[in-house]
Amino acid sequence: MTANDQVPLPPSGARVTTTACDYCIVACGYKVFTWPVGTEGGGLASQNALGVDFPAPALSGRWISPSQHTVVRIGGQPHHAVIIADPDATVVNRGGNHSIRGGTLAQKCYREDGPTRDRLKTPLLRVGGKLTPVSWDTALGVMAGVSKHVLHEHGEMAWGMKTYSYQYFENTYAISKLAFESVKTPCYSEHDKPGPGNDTAGMDDAGLITFSASYEDYSLADVIYISGTDPWETKTVLFTEWMMKGGAKLIFAMPRRTTGVAWAERNGGLFLQVKPGTDTLLHLAMTRLILEQGWQDQEFIDRWVANTWEIDTGFGRGVRNTPWQWRTTWGRSGAVSFEDYKKWLLGYKYAELDRAAEISGVSAGAIRRAAELLSKPVSGKRPKASFCFEKGCYWSNNYLNTASLANLGLVCGAGNRPGQVVSRGGGHQRGWASNAAAYPITQSPEKLPGRRRKEIDLDRWVEAGQLRFAYVIGTTWAQAMAASQELAGTFRRLTRGNPHQIASADASAAVEALKRRVDSGGMAIVHQDIYLVDPIGSELADIVLPAAAWGEDDFTRANGERRMRLYSKFYDPPGAAKPDWWIIAQFARRMGFEGYDWEDSNDVFVEGARFSRGGMLNYHPLVAHAKQLGRRPHELLREMGTTGIQLPARLIKGELVGTKRLHDPSNEIGTPEGPTVHSQWLYAFNTHSGKALLHKTPWEIFADFYERITPKGDEVWVSNGRINEIWQSSFDDQRKPYLKRRFPDTFVEIHPQDAKARGIESGDVVEIWSDDVLVQTGGFVGMEGEDLLSFQQLEQKGHIRVGKGSCRAVAVVTDAVRPGGVFTNFLWPGSPVNSLVHRVPDPITSRYRFKLAKGRLRKVGESPYKRSFEAMTFAPRPVMPRAT
Amino acid sequence: MASETDTSAGGGEKPPTCLTRRDFLLSGSGAATTIMLASLPGFARAQEPLALRVAAYPRKRLGRISRLQLNQPVEFHYPYEHAHCRSFIVKLGVPAGAGVGPEQDVVAFNALCTHQGGLLSGMYLQEGAFRLAGPCPIHLSTFDLTRHGLIVAGHATQSLPQVLLETDGDAVYATGMMGLVYGFSSNLPRDWKEGG
Repeated sequence: MTANDQVPLPPSGARVTTTACDYCIVACGYKVFTWPVGTEGGGLASQNALGVDFPAPALSGRWISPSQHTVVRIGGQPHHAVIIADPDATVVNRGGNHSIRGGTLAQKCYREDGPTRDRLKTPLLRVGGKLTPVSWDTALGVMAGVSKHVLHEHGEMAWGMKTYSYQYFENTYAISKLAFESVKTPCYSEHDKPGPGNDTAGMDDAGLITFSASYEDYSLADVIYISGTDPWETKTVLFTEWMMKGGAKLIFAMPRRTTGVAWAERNGGLFLQVKPGTDTLLHLAMTRLILEQGWQDQEFIDRWVANTWEIDTGFGRGVRNTPWQWRTTWGRSGAVSFEDYKKWLLGYKYAELDRAAEISGVSAGAIRRAAELLSKPVSGKRPKASFCFEKGCYWSNNYLNTASLANLGLVCGAGNRPGQVVSRGGGHQRGWASNAAAYPITQSPEKLPGRRRKEIDLDRWVEAGQLRFAYVIGTTWAQAMAASQELAGTFRRLTRGNPHQIASADASAAVEALKRRVDSGGMAIVHQDIYLVDPIGSELADIVLPAAAWGEDDFTRANGERRMRLYSKFYDPPGAAKPDWWIIAQFARRMGFEGYDWEDSNDVFVEGARFSRGGMLNYHPLVAHAKQLGRRPHELLREMGTTGIQLPARLIKGELVGTKRLHDPSNEIGTPEGPTVHSQWLYAFNTHSGKALLHKTPWEIFADFYERITPKGDEVWVSNGRINEIWQSSFDDQRKPYLKRRFPDTFVEIHPQDAKARGIESGDVVEIWSDDVLVQTGGFVGMEGEDLLSFQQLEQKGHIRVGKGSCRAVAVVTDAVRPGGVFTNFLWPGSPVNSLVHRVPDPITSRYRFKLAKGRLRKVGESPYKRSFEAMTFAPRPVMPRAT
Repeated sequence: MASETDTSAGGGEKPPTCLTRRDFLLSGSGAATTIMLASLPGFARAQEPLALRVAAYPRKRLGRISRLQLNQPVEFHYPYEHAHCRSFIVKLGVPAGAGVGPEQDVVAFNALCTHQGGLLSGMYLQEGAFRLAGPCPIHLSTFDLTRHGLIVAGHATQSLPQVLLETDGDAVYATGMMGLVYGFSSNLPRDWKEGG
């Protein structure tokens, strides 16, 4: 320990490696300086690798904070590593801007004498209840032995995977190859949902690809409507580098006041403090006001919104064999033209201003003002409006919120032009570019009458006792899903609660034990991660496999403007840890599957390239171009440094070029060159006609569920989300000394009224609990009519049971939240707020309503932080200076 | 005597100190600093090496506690007369970590945001019982002055560097720092020990 008042400087000969931040969607560019321990640079520009005289000037991006230095091993030898945002970056985080998450990347690295020393270093087998180190050969042998048995005896419907969707193109391609090409199982689900499929189906139906925008667009807009997220908190540099500097007026629609909101209000913007789950009504009311006033962008609508012929007669909305089919044949939502939509909207009672104001909790005046800011011409000039949305919007009322927001954006003329975009802000980065084979949807057990099969709801499948083997990679599964304690209970019953346990480290004996377990209706679990995760790894898994991750192999990934960079390896992974693609390949070979002969991550990158064709993350032209140049594609990308390339990549006149914005007609450039693919959505919307579609969004579809889950008596809404200083389950943050000081525990923001009524003060430990957590069971196949499409039907048919959940957090009493609603971190280990979330997915899209939990509060004691100056603070986050 | 500090720095980073090492050694502040650190929560483990480190800082008289007005920061430079060493001392009116004076509410901090060096001068905020520095005018980071300058919300990867204070009667002295001042690679000349 030191006073933290000095850092070593990289000498001028230090090795410089480029990478990007491992955390949020923005993926700021970083430089890693490494050099052997025992030498240091000096304070003159000529003496250090940063090329600057110290002290480094403000905004130089060339200062190293103590959190940005660590010691790692390279080739077994100790090396200093300094990791700072790239001061030379010309894109994303220009000049070295960064968040607190990325700014502490150095503390994430494995260090044998530091807080990351508990990284998984060797495969583990649970023998006699204890996780015991074994060789890769033993672990993979047991895994393959039981997998073969499950596939042979119980079929591929009993063998499943639950994995991250974003830890690099190479690893996710390997996952897709194993699950969809080799095993051919539909029992697959990404980390944040019960099954594959569209996350923002309402946008997709409109023809809007949800990462169509470029960050520059947010600096070109006059006004930005931000729904269900504060980019300052969760996409920090998108806000501080692009939104703040661009000068747009910001309109926030969120239940909670944040720093971004405070900034918006101080700079001519607006805060719509919406009640959780009611955004659809705001969208309807604003759209209606705009149409009533004639403020819509009619020129854009005439050109870019599909007319009746294009929908009904000519191209069709997709009545056969399209992803739209099962939703839009649903009668109630399809609008066959702008006029048809307008007629519906102007006559629709829930689009009336006063009714929307009453239910949403946002004043009629504020809704009107928002509509004006978005669309009312000023001095004859239309404002350039953009729309940025995220999970508060689409994980509260998934289909209706996204479809109604798409409508609002389109009538304002947004979607395909500079400064006029509709896009997700994003959460994690985009790390899945290609599928080795299509998801085998025809195998899925989910089928509603008259409609295509739906992707599986894997959680419900597990609850039904159908899954016998689960390969879990890089996710907590239980805590990340809804009604998480109920789910964890099921896992516990199927694994540790089963009489058949491994009693010996002998591989064949272990296989036999697990065979008996799965044959008796139990389940075997393999968990692969960088740390031992509770409970999936520490308690439930039979085999735990150590993964090598960021900085420990060469990987590729894209950010929220589809910008792909190489995340370079710069140090040794801990112990025997291996990258996920390697582990998958070793397992697959033992299973007898072919095509897993990759020697390095570049090989996987190359193989996956052709499967990315036609997607928004198409990088195939880069690989083809590299081959022409006789280069390794990873090396070509490495040369592009922190700039990388915005996907889809294209070749124009022999040059490799990126794509700034999707749907933009200026992208239409004639005949596609070489391996370039000109998908229609490059220069038009992603529909049959290339024109956007409007959808009716009747509130009644959601109203029965909303009524059922609205807090009553002393219940409050329990909403949750990300906060600036914490990434995901805080797996790194709890090992970063500084971030652990800021958040040694999770928090819950409680309004002073609610706190006072319950005797709660800031710093108290509060339990949030509910004995009314709804869980959908069964209901995989509907028989007739509109079976299973409403909550009432699910209830009537006996598909809803009532469970329990609870979590605890340290209270922060603040008027940042609405009375009657609290806010907490979404994924704190050991205290999952998702335990309070109803496991009843949106019937249209099978997406959970994560943000719409409810519960009761009670004080259970005082945290050590209440009366200490040492760690945690209860000061208000959204503060602004008095008017200056 | 300035040469003692000048010769010890490795490169461009050698702004003149306001006190010389000799002045510092004569002040005998090391023992007092150690005692004060024992009351600093969270730093107990680091006490000894930290105390040694802090003992290397100059001791600078800042003025008199009784002259400080509630919630009115007063600026000074520490440990050097360098632009980055712009600091402020303030009487918060509420007890604070490492606070001195009869109410333990007098604290001092460096005024440069530890994110990208934004100047927090004049960005002192009272919010109910809370005392904050920020939001930084550049990217809106905010720091809690009662909790050793801990980040409340924002992007800085360490707390606002706290200037450690001591009192002698009514007089208040700056005697050390917790945390690296923005822009520097070391608050003290790098080879201070060797150079002396």
